[in-house]
Amino acid sequence: MSSPLLETKLYAARVRRRSVPRPRLADRLAQGLAGRLLLVSAPAGFGKTTALAQWVEGSAGSAEPPAVAWVSLDAGDNDVRTFCRYLVAAVHGAAPDIGARELDLLSTDATASADGVTALLASLLNDVADLANDLAVVLDDYHVIEAPEVHEAVTFVLEHAPPQLHVAIATRVDPPLPVARLRARGDLTEVRAADLRFTPVEADTYFNDVMQLGLTEPQVKALDERTEGWVAALQLAALSLQGRDDVAGFIGTFAGDDRYVVDYLVEEVLQRQPGPTRQFLLRTSVLTRLSGPLCDALTGRDDGRRTLESLERANLFLVPLDDRRQWYRYHHLFADVLRARLLDEQPDQVARLHRRAGDWFESQGRREDAIGHALQSRDPGYAANLVERTVEQSRRERTERTMRGWLARLPAEVVAERPALGVALAGALLSTGTTDGVARALDDAERALSAHDGSTGLRGWIQVYRAGLAQAHHDAAGTLTHARGALDTLPRDDAVGRAAASALLGLASWGAGDLDAAHAAYSASQAIFKEAGFLTDVLGCAVVLANLRTSQGRLQDALDTHVSALDFTAGRSAAPGALVDPLEQQTLRGVVDTYVGMADVHRERNDLAEATRLLLAAEAAGEHAGLPQARYRWHVVMAQVLQAEGDLAGADPLLDVARESYVDDFHPDARPVAATQARLRVAQRRLDEVFAWARARGLALDDEVTYLREYEHLTLVRAHLADPALDRAVRHETLGLLGRLLTAAEAGGRDGTVIDVLVQQAVALDGAGRASAGSLEALERALQLAEPEGYVRTFLDEGSRVLDLLSAAQRAGLRTPYVRDLLARSCHPQEPPQPRVDEGLVVDELSPRERDVLRLLTTELNGPDIARELVLSLNTVRTHTKNIYAKLGVTNRRAAVRRAQELDLLHPSRTT
Amino acid sequence: MSTPNADQQPRGDWYEIRLQGRLAQRWVAWFDGLTLTADDDGTTTLRGRVVDQAALHGVLQRLGDLGVPLISVAQVPPDPDPDHTTRPDPGEPT
Repeated sequence: MSSPLLETKLYAARVRRRSVPRPRLADRLAQGLAGRLLLVSAPAGFGKTTALAQWVEGSAGSAEPPAVAWVSLDAGDNDVRTFCRYLVAAVHGAAPDIGARELDLLSTDATASADGVTALLASLLNDVADLANDLAVVLDDYHVIEAPEVHEAVTFVLEHAPPQLHVAIATRVDPPLPVARLRARGDLTEVRAADLRFTPVEADTYFNDVMQLGLTEPQVKALDERTEGWVAALQLAALSLQGRDDVAGFIGTFAGDDRYVVDYLVEEVLQRQPGPTRQFLLRTSVLTRLSGPLCDALTGRDDGRRTLESLERANLFLVPLDDRRQWYRYHHLFADVLRARLLDEQPDQVARLHRRAGDWFESQGRREDAIGHALQSRDPGYAANLVERTVEQSRRERTERTMRGWLARLPAEVVAERPALGVALAGALLSTGTTDGVARALDDAERALSAHDGSTGLRGWIQVYRAGLAQAHHDAAGTLTHARGALDTLPRDDAVGRAAASALLGLASWGAGDLDAAHAAYSASQAIFKEAGFLTDVLGCAVVLANLRTSQGRLQDALDTHVSALDFTAGRSAAPGALVDPLEQQTLRGVVDTYVGMADVHRERNDLAEATRLLLAAEAAGEHAGLPQARYRWHVVMAQVLQAEGDLAGADPLLDVARESYVDDFHPDARPVAATQARLRVAQRRLDEVFAWARARGLALDDEVTYLREYEHLTLVRAHLADPALDRAVRHETLGLLGRLLTAAEAGGRDGTVIDVLVQQAVALDGAGRASAGSLEALERALQLAEPEGYVRTFLDEGSRVLDLLSAAQRAGLRTPYVRDLLARSCHPQEPPQPRVDEGLVVDELSPRERDVLRLLTTELNGPDIARELVLSLNTVRTHTKNIYAKLGVTNRRAAVRRAQELDLLHPSRTT
Repeated sequence: MSTPNADQQPRGDWYEIRLQGRLAQRWVAWFDGLTLTADDDGTTTLRGRVVDQAALHGVLQRLGDLGVPLISVAQVPPDPDPDHTTRPDPGEPT
């Protein structure tokens, strides 16, 4: 599904067999291994890659050699997902125990958002923190990186690096990373041009010991001065001197010349090559990577492989990119000089050579490389053809940034006349957070489409993106129209398109308060995702569907929605024959959100222990198992659980975190966290702050009511009803607002809101402690709706006034078990919260064998090791592990160990 | 690959970039048609119209890639000689 990784980019450079020992530099580099970042910053040809290779080689001889993950960056790594794929693959290659899960994540859409990327890196760093040995990550040619997202990713890694991790960056330009901060903390070792220049002594070793040119001391000095110790120039000079009779004459002329030193020396070197070799060098200089067959495609000859081997033997600036002598690159500086010559001497060849390279890469199925060359072939139609063929793959792999980059390099008129490219441009823009230019791209695509018939797929996608654009502009009517249009147009087999259109339809209905329509649309979307096997999206839809059910006052349906989605996805991931290894089990993204949604239902039903257990399980599943809103959702529900337990002070900071974690994902925000916090303030009797919040939000008792503001209005109502200064006029206005809210909620079928409104009505109609008939009637209606669904907190969270009303209702004859139960649960409001996990229970439940396995889970041993250690079959160990996770309420190994430590289960003395 | 309108005034400002060392004439194409003058003091001056700031940074990056030391970059009045503004891209197929 994903495009294959280029192994050559992960090939660690090797030190040349014959090289100059440079102890001065080696010391400086060794310091780098001690710190967090080694920055090698110098112009081309200063031997940065060699320096890094020496660093790696030097550390390999140390007592505990670090694992080395090497990435040679190129322009394609400006797509942060591509960058991460190479980074993680390199880490996985260096430390095979880690990175596999993150690589899997990268082939899903879990990392489509910036949050997803951060979560991925956090997970990778956690794994690194568990490594016994150090890990060195080398990022070579970092100057090709321009994308802020990649700089942010690298910054994140540097800021959160565990002590085992050492990063080395080689670059021609100082990178926009927080180097000053690292320098201040002593975490940075810098190696710059001055450190890399060859001293006269090193130059002497190079010319006379390594190259055996037999130069005199003044000759070496003259060369070192003329080249200023520039390594590439010294190498070129040595090449020019090899086999030359008049050494003194050459050095004299060179030293007395003021031409650009590389120009001069390359001229000398090229002149000494036979004609065919010269031609080969010039023509293949357009390539960023060279192989024999690829060179043959460019030169029309069949000696590519042999020529490359002989160039490497002759030290002609050819850098091997693997151990198999298949792929090479020219030294960057040498390649630039060759390309400039080619452009000057054979200008009309350049485009032709790129075209041939494009064809060759296309024939090898390496489309990205093909496009790179096609874009330089001066044939926009050819390039556009290739780009067109990757549109679908790019949408699947979420590499929209790369797509945007390619489309930007095509002439606008070529994009405009190709509907597939216009639609791709619109999608790439929307998914990278831009609405500018989307409408025009879609208009162009539509115009181009009208020229020919068919292409219902594209017409459908145009509608999908128009709906997305309308949604981004908060145009609900426009979203509905276009989403419906998309569903009418898209072919039946375009699952992704139909699901996207359905979800947009649901979003628009939801925002307009039409919950039934929203539910129907999201159900349709979820059904498509189920069929297509997009498991994370199945869970994402479930979260929305359950939210809708909760608003409708259907708590049991909400819970069932979560459970059946979890069952569906669990069945799926376990289905393909192989048993899921619980030791290595990775939690599906979206599971956190589902747990949190279930916890919320249990909280409302006052099963706070179950709610807490689910929240802890969600936490243990880890950040990578959450959708972008997971962190926000978790903190809101946890705060409300604490509030229910009477810990108002503890709830407050959690709501602060929730507020900071909120991500605007275009979903209607029916329960703004600020309003939830205002309700907490009401309970804390800090009414001034609540009224200030209401003023800032422009809330008033005589407002029109809308679905999206009803939660806020019901918060304002609570503040007024809790206000000791409440007078008759304000009470009247409050009742008026409640009446309007009730009518709207009943009309919209939002029974959850209806219950809430009725409870507040009962409070408002309650005359000074003596329950009025109207008050009791409202309360009774609320109870009728609430009982079948098991609502508890909606009543109990309102405190003594509602409890008094419930008692009054009971005295007045409402002696149902439900009312008795509500009152009984409220009898001990100050009772300390229940322990989150019943310690004794767990300890009793863990069998001796499970304890054995649990103890080994804290070690470095993997599943098969544990099985051997305990003389059990692997499957038995897996079963024990599953049971342990279930009993500890966790979903992965790390959380199990943490939980076991918390519960002190690891000491043999505790075993029975 | 863009197709500018023939009547359109050429866009961009004129710049003069001085470098340490003498660069041969063959680099003219590499620097998108800027004129290249070797001076007696062992420096080279690149001069001509640069479409926008991004293009200017592109030229500077190419110089950086070659490891050529920069001496100065200055905006200058346009050259009266029309030759320099209409120099065709040598890579353009005819």
